[in-house]
Amino acid sequence: MTECPLCSAQVQLGADTLKNELLECGECGAELEVTAINPFKLAEAPKEEEDWGE
Amino acid sequence: MTRVGFLHSLIRPDEKFLINEFQSRPDVKLVMIDDREISFKVGSRGFGVDVVVERCINHSRALHALTLFEASGVRCVNSQAVATVCGDKLLTSVALGVAGVPQPELRVAFTEQSALRAIEEMGYPVVLKPAVGSWGRLLSKVNDRDAAEAILEHKTVLGSYHHSIFYIQKYVEKRGRDIRSFVVGDECIAAIYRTSDHWITNTAQGGVASNCPLTNELRDFSIKAAKAVGGGIVAIDIFETPDGLLANEVNYTMEYKNSIQTTGVNIPQHIVDYTLRAAEHRDV
Repeated sequence: MTECPLCSAQVQLGADTLKNELLECGECGAELEVTAINPFKLAEAPKEEEDWGE
Repeated sequence: MTRVGFLHSLIRPDEKFLINEFQSRPDVKLVMIDDREISFKVGSRGFGVDVVVERCINHSRALHALTLFEASGVRCVNSQAVATVCGDKLLTSVALGVAGVPQPELRVAFTEQSALRAIEEMGYPVVLKPAVGSWGRLLSKVNDRDAAEAILEHKTVLGSYHHSIFYIQKYVEKRGRDIRSFVVGDECIAAIYRTSDHWITNTAQGGVASNCPLTNELRDFSIKAAKAVGGGIVAIDIFETPDGLLANEVNYTMEYKNSIQTTGVNIPQHIVDYTLRAAEHRDV
């Protein structure tokens, strides 16, 4: 479990969680990026940009 | 041992499926390359990888990184040439047209006045799209002249310069759904319907995915469209009309997370097989 950087709720991370993985906080719904593993660190995910996506 | 460079930024479910598939393969070493971390020394050769699979979210970073990787002698999936064509709807339409792939009527204009004349000649409704953009963002269905004048002015005044390259597509009544087909190399591996009450059916905008059976017509059409843009691993957005299929767009960093269960096809497995063949410089 790691704390959401926005609402401080506990976010469940697993053994298969990857660095840079995109997650959603179950409490506040914020999109989060796993910026480090071992130990886990979370940050608010980058905002959508004009050239995102396919 | 095949060293696969995995070019990425955020790891979404689509990327995670691919990573897991690569890691399940013997003799594959996955080298993660975060496009937010890397810098390129122009003129250098090789990056210690046999192939790069591109999974960036930003089109601009993907395009430039592919250019730099290929210039250094690294084979990329997809290629820079395919990314160039697919990342720009205008270039895609030109390529489809050259290859004789049916598509919605299209006009391109460079000023508000010429764009308005083109729209009036085409007849309403039309759809204005940014040439570069995805996920259904900034699409405008224009139903009448008042809307056309307003949107053209807004795009000119508020948008950056490339919003004044007016890509004007005749609106196609698609009866609540379109098709997205997935092509890997010479094979059309799966397809989904994207259904929505809204005229924009992108799943990113709430469209619901369901399996679309592959017919010979759909297979042949999809492969022809894929080859028109240079081949590789692409997803084709297709309209069904009484006169046949029309290619709407071709996507080069295809998103498929909603399509594995839906179609029963292991899409990442096909992508990894293709990438590893490319790494061996075999014909793909």
